[in-house]
Amino acid sequence: MTTSQGSLTPPAMGTSERPEPPIQVAGLVLPLLAAIAAYTLAGLLGSQAILWGLLIGAVTAGFVWWRNFVQEIPWLVAIVVAGPIATSLFSSVLRSRTTVIEKGLSSRASLSWLLFGLVVGLAMSQASRPRLPGIAIAARSMATALAFGLSSFLALQAGTSIGYIEALRGREIDGGAIQFLTTGFYVQAGAILLALGLAAAVALRLRNGVLFAGASAVVMTLVAVNQINFSVKEILSSFTRLGALAGEFWPPDWAWPKTIGQPEAVHIFEPFIETLQIAVIGATLGCIIAVPLAFSASRATAPNYPTYWFSKAFMNVFRTIPDLFWGILFATAVGFGSPFAGALAMIMFSLSIMAKLLSETVDSIDVGPLEAAKSAGARHWQMVQYAAYPQVAPNYVAYALYIFELNIRASVVLGIVGAGGIGRLLDERRNFFQWDQVMAIVMVIFVAVILIEIFSIWVRKKIV
Amino acid sequence: MTVPDLVPDAVSDVPRPKEPQFTKWLRIIIVVGLIIPLLWSATGLEISPSRIWEAPGQIWTLLGGMFPPDWTGTPKTIELILESLYVAWIGTIIGATLSFPLAFLAATNVAPRSVTLPVRSFFSAIRAFPELVLAIMFIPAFGLGPFAGTLAIGLHSIGTLGKLSSEVIEGVDDGPIEAIKASGGTYFQQMRFGVVPQALPTIVAYWLYRFEINIRASAVLGVIGAGGVGAEIVGRLRFRGDWPKAGAVLILTIITVLLIDTASSIIRRRIITGHASSSRPAKWMAALLGANDEPSTEIAEA
Amino acid sequence: MIEFTEASVVYPNGFRALDKVSLTIEDGEFVVVVGLSGAGKSTLLRAVNGLVPIVEGSVKVHGQEVVGATAAELRELRSRIGMIFQTFNLVNRATVVSNVMMGRLSKVPRWRSILGMWPAQDKELALQALERVGIVEKTYERASNLSGGQQQRVGIARALAQEPTVILADEPVASLDPVTSHMVMRDLQRINRELNITTLINLHFLDLARQYGKRLIGLRDGKLVYDGDINDVDDDQFREIYGRAITPDDLLEGAEA
Ligand SMILES: Nc1ncnc2c1ncn2[C@@H]1O[C@H](COP(=O)(O)OP(=O)(O)OP(=O)(O)O)[C@@H](O)[C@H]1O
Ligand SMILES: [Mg+2]
Repeated sequence: MTTSQGSLTPPAMGTSERPEPPIQVAGLVLPLLAAIAAYTLAGLLGSQAILWGLLIGAVTAGFVWWRNFVQEIPWLVAIVVAGPIATSLFSSVLRSRTTVIEKGLSSRASLSWLLFGLVVGLAMSQASRPRLPGIAIAARSMATALAFGLSSFLALQAGTSIGYIEALRGREIDGGAIQFLTTGFYVQAGAILLALGLAAAVALRLRNGVLFAGASAVVMTLVAVNQINFSVKEILSSFTRLGALAGEFWPPDWAWPKTIGQPEAVHIFEPFIETLQIAVIGATLGCIIAVPLAFSASRATAPNYPTYWFSKAFMNVFRTIPDLFWGILFATAVGFGSPFAGALAMIMFSLSIMAKLLSETVDSIDVGPLEAAKSAGARHWQMVQYAAYPQVAPNYVAYALYIFELNIRASVVLGIVGAGGIGRLLDERRNFFQWDQVMAIVMVIFVAVILIEIFSIWVRKKIV
Repeated sequence: MTVPDLVPDAVSDVPRPKEPQFTKWLRIIIVVGLIIPLLWSATGLEISPSRIWEAPGQIWTLLGGMFPPDWTGTPKTIELILESLYVAWIGTIIGATLSFPLAFLAATNVAPRSVTLPVRSFFSAIRAFPELVLAIMFIPAFGLGPFAGTLAIGLHSIGTLGKLSSEVIEGVDDGPIEAIKASGGTYFQQMRFGVVPQALPTIVAYWLYRFEINIRASAVLGVIGAGGVGAEIVGRLRFRGDWPKAGAVLILTIITVLLIDTASSIIRRRIITGHASSSRPAKWMAALLGANDEPSTEIAEA
Repeated sequence: MIEFTEASVVYPNGFRALDKVSLTIEDGEFVVVVGLSGAGKSTLLRAVNGLVPIVEGSVKVHGQEVVGATAAELRELRSRIGMIFQTFNLVNRATVVSNVMMGRLSKVPRWRSILGMWPAQDKELALQALERVGIVEKTYERASNLSGGQQQRVGIARALAQEPTVILADEPVASLDPVTSHMVMRDLQRINRELNITTLINLHFLDLARQYGKRLIGLRDGKLVYDGDINDVDDDQFREIYGRAITPDDLLEGAEA
């Protein structure tokens, strides 16, 4: 207790220990970002592996010292020294490549980072107070090492794919691309590696979820981005093409049913009415059938255990099936091109969503009235109807309207898989590359969806 | 015991109120209002009793045709399912990162009306296009493949997530914002320390929830050639001989989605209820998001 | 007549909340149950209508065995036992009359309850029950629009609508203010006297128990530790039940001060 603050602290309370401050997320992220920046800079300046290694080692050591994980000088030195060793190993492995980096090479290169991680992990285990038992030391060191190794592998994979893309984009594999692979790629891969490694290591040490979740999200994004070759550059370059295409989409062709000249030419509104009808049937019947299912799938209102489990399983499995898959399945079963298939699909789709939403609401109702009904001798479903249903009725109506909206949106596309409605038209025009006609249909869909949403919001406001 | 026994003489002269007729009529109106559109739709779709009668048999034939599933195509299917997952993930990331700042502009409690109105209309406008329709329009520009699908899902997610997030922001307690304002905090500080800590847990839960929905959307996109498992399902159902393969694809898809749903809902629950659960990941999440208030666990996406 | 013979209740988590309790309550008695929080008062009441798992012994109401009764027998039994709750347990969003009609659910045919088409005499009964507790003018109000005392009287009306022979009241006044508490207690006492309905009440406050009760049952850790005239309770017996001496906190008037 400092004297300057004595006036604030009554002497009687001065003896109580102050709690440890909780970990500040920003305090962890900022040095990490700084490290990445420094590393990237170093990478851009030249390719001296030793220099980078020293930098990585120093940043890591500084970080663990600053965050109070490791205070012992020998261990800090060990971390600093481990950095250049790891980077030299790393780059010597990479330099042994012939043309491009393949998976086996990345895993071998990652071993050097495994080594580095091991040193960091050991340092943190040794320095922890109270001292950990041997097995815990081993586990923590291994975990930290694995975190480093794994993330470096992922980073290399990411970098490899980036390299491939660049190479495929017209750069020569063993000309400019090699240059790219040795600097640009190295920088990227290294930055990712450092971020992930540190994040994982610190997360393991701290059991801190921010870094853990953040690192996992970054890894997932990296993997996903390079697996589907997603790139922002691509989007930007597509904008020019988009401009050229605009002329094909605009203005929408409203007169096309007539211009085709077929006497039986489908008017745009006919299939649209069909879509509306599919949505109405699907939403109404689906929402009605969902009621007993939802109450069976909630513990307080399920008649018995087997019914509970069965309903829950049924509900969760059906909920995984996307709207259009229902359309495909029913179109295959009851006949291609039939709106009946669409209606069945929308019933199943509405049913599964409503059952889920409603049963979650039922889970949170007040069970008092249920007990009251039961103690008055009510039968099970009487209890549900009179004590449980009124509690969820407003939610039920709100969900039903929401599901109707979803149904409209889903049923406009059902026709694409032969389940009736305006989607059939959309698909047909698309296959003829009649984009101005596609645009006309899309505009109709747009207006309809907006109108129905406005109506549904209005009703929801009325009932709540 | 006979009925009149219950009536105490002392209080029986209080007049009984008239039963309001309104609710009775409302009930009749609702029933009629449901039945008429239902009949209109049923006749419009030429749904006859015989079709309904035949349907279970036809569905049974399809199910029977899919079982036992043929697992020979499993590696390819898994690749396609993964592709759907990648598309959904990046779509969600796009939606989350772009909708987050926009949501502040759409929340009436932290942005002026002149800003919220256009941003909200923008959200509504994108939400009105189903992902599939967006993808159909993107394909001519970006070509067949997962790229167009990712953009379609990302764009649609901006609309849905933007709307939900702005509602969360509107629901935060004004107290902290005013306190920061009172102590001279800038607009950014008000948002960063007054709004974000309150709103973030729910918003992140919405992101995860959107990911669940996007997986379904991206699975479907394959149908029009925008990548993912959808094309496989359509292709396999086309010929009867392929039905067992379709069964395998369907089962693998269901299992994957089920697993992700489960994981996501566990995480969401922990994010939202904060430290309610004592297990360790829950503590991470509580620390992660500073979750201590309790927003609804209910997510009715719009 | 309600008869407990060596009855024990063990909750699914293994907690023994009632331990070998034996007692007999004659028709028309007004019995007050007291005990510390967690002593098993609610459990005792719920054992009477079979809402808790009775694992040994026997509980008989009007000669009907509760332990091992079939679902139909249990429903029939419960329909003759009215229950009143501390937190009222009304469906807040529903009207007063539809809450009271819950007391008639067991008596009407299934199709009528599904369609909500109540027989005229059941409606009449509900209105009479509301008249007896003096809130008939609120019949078509939403339950949530009523005050706490009025809500509890709806709860009593719901029990009365069952035409019960037994009423179980689990801390019926614990969430009410002292004045309302007395009103509700007087209602219950009057119903007990005028309709000769056997009444079992859990109470927290001793003075309320003294004022309205005749017979007192004391529970401690799930065991019966006192059963006798309420006016005979002396300090020693009090200590037996509560494990300590009377404090102002145990009195409604005391808590008020
Ligand atoms: N559903 C249950 N599962 C497990 N244990 C329970 C359950 N209900 C009650 N108990 C336990 O049984 C014991 C008796 O509970 P009971 O509700 O009968 O007490 P009480 O005397 O009514 O207390 P209070 O005055 O607080 O209402 C308590 O220790 C309680 O924790
Ligand atoms: Mg109790």
